[in-house]
Amino acid sequence: METEVSHLFGSSIRPEEVKALVKKATAAKEKMGELKRELSEYIGRAIDIKGQVGIAQTRAFAIEIPDKEMEYVSPEGLRLDGRRPLEMRQLRAEIGVVTQADGSAVFEMGNTKVIAAIYGPREVENKAHLINDQALVRCEYTMANFSTGDRMRKPKGDRRSTEISLVIRQTMEACIMTHLMPRSQIDIFVQVLQADGGTRSACINAATLALANAGIPMCDLVTSCSAGYLNSTPLLDLNYVEDSAGGPDVTVGFLPKVDKVTLLQMDSKLPMDMFENVMQLAIEGCKAIASYIREVLLENIKQLEYHRGV
Amino acid sequence: MGPSSSSADLSAEMEVDAFRRLFPLQFYERHLLESIRPDGRTHQQARDTTLALGAVASADGSALAKIGCTTMLAAIKMEVMTPTTDLPDEGNLTIEFHMPPICSPIVRPGKPADIAAVISKELSDTILSSGMINLKELSLVSGKTAWMAYLDIYCLDADGALFDAALLSAVAAFSHLQIPVVSVNDEGKVFIVSEEDKAGKPGNEPVNIDKRKLVLSNIPYSLTCLLHKNYILADPTAEEESIMETSLTVVLNSSRQLVSLYKPGGPVLAYTSALQDCVAMTMQRVKELQKILNEAISDMEVV
Repeated sequence: METEVSHLFGSSIRPEEVKALVKKATAAKEKMGELKRELSEYIGRAIDIKGQVGIAQTRAFAIEIPDKEMEYVSPEGLRLDGRRPLEMRQLRAEIGVVTQADGSAVFEMGNTKVIAAIYGPREVENKAHLINDQALVRCEYTMANFSTGDRMRKPKGDRRSTEISLVIRQTMEACIMTHLMPRSQIDIFVQVLQADGGTRSACINAATLALANAGIPMCDLVTSCSAGYLNSTPLLDLNYVEDSAGGPDVTVGFLPKVDKVTLLQMDSKLPMDMFENVMQLAIEGCKAIASYIREVLLENIKQLEYHRGV
Repeated sequence: MGPSSSSADLSAEMEVDAFRRLFPLQFYERHLLESIRPDGRTHQQARDTTLALGAVASADGSALAKIGCTTMLAAIKMEVMTPTTDLPDEGNLTIEFHMPPICSPIVRPGKPADIAAVISKELSDTILSSGMINLKELSLVSGKTAWMAYLDIYCLDADGALFDAALLSAVAAFSHLQIPVVSVNDEGKVFIVSEEDKAGKPGNEPVNIDKRKLVLSNIPYSLTCLLHKNYILADPTAEEESIMETSLTVVLNSSRQLVSLYKPGGPVLAYTSALQDCVAMTMQRVKELQKILNEAISDMEVV
């Protein structure tokens, strides 16, 4: 029985709490399943009474026609780009790339390439938005014209960019210790240079690195990864082709040290019993990214120490 | 400047930084008297320049240019269009320059920087008027279909001499550009031939067989100089540009012809001797840039 689990926004809930919520939703759906079964019984009786006329119409109403499925996972267990289902794309990160910015980073996940720059804490631009006891966090997500397959006409100001800007802002704001920098403003700018699926996740990872580079106090690193479910297999880190296949896409934002989920987004349909698996897979991906990010930051510190002659 | 103990060294250092912020002009003039600049360059020396072709995999041609810390990413995407009736044999070229908020603290989101529009226009005029690209090469079927090349240049780090870096990245992107193979079917519809289709399909003759490169003639190169009293400083940083406002941009092409000269006002009035000195410095720079561009192209060819 397929049910829909659509957009869930959590602010710092533990995975166990998410599972409890999911269990409640399952119970409600089971109830609905019973009602559906009663309805099909009525339909069956209606067919008997009415006779052969209208059988085709009624049957079409009660039965779901499955889509013709393309092969996203080969029988040998390889995906379209040669990866295994639980394998993430290659990660590459570099910090301090924009000299004008207070902190900056480039983050690559496979062919998705994103650059983030942090300006702040600095004076609030619009005094009307000034907050007396904490810092104001602003975020802008833009895509370069050439980042996608076809050239984009309107790379910013469209609905998708605005939504992702909001998501990134709320995710990072939860972790930045804004009460330490009152009456100031922190600007997070993210520019997508190449888009191949998972841009949201790459942006959050790049923003985390850039904030660390800027020396802005945070309670934990925020890492993000996506996972999906195609050809009855949970897949980690979807690329553009797999994402646009129409299957579910679960994006998770995770705080590794405190073990909490801060961002959870999902679309399309996913069987209830598979949701936990897919979410857990995405969380494992986040943990792997977190260890990579820590390595990069450690390497950077060593470089700084070397240059200072320590 | 103070007692020579280690704590005083720290305070002397802080004094230098404070002096630099509070009295920038005097700070620079003290350096210029000794014929040197704070980053160690002489008046005529340009910063280290690097070029990387093919920086964006999804574009038909791309390049990343860095002059010092100023970073520009240029990418070209080709689309098919119908040519105008009065120029049926020519394709078209659209050049856009963007300064996203990541590149500089003075750029605010929602409000594009003034300088971005100025540089966009300068670039467009320079590239189109230099005759580097023969638009006839962008034609596919006369009167029916032609290529429209969209060149987008993104500034990733704005540290002075933006026009020079942008022009260099644009030129490099055009050298890297490979026009995709296309076929025209019977209804006149053009579609891109992928690698697998090339061998089999009958009835669709490819209009161009191999991915071809554009022939570039008279490639323009530029150098921006700052004029201050009787000093001429080549290739300024953002700090220098903010203190000394008068700038002069000279664009020469590979045959040493003058393509463009741009001096947008400013407090310093230039004698013709100053202009000639700038042109001479630009000629020197053209040689350097040609060498860098040729090296970058040959590196790509080996790979």
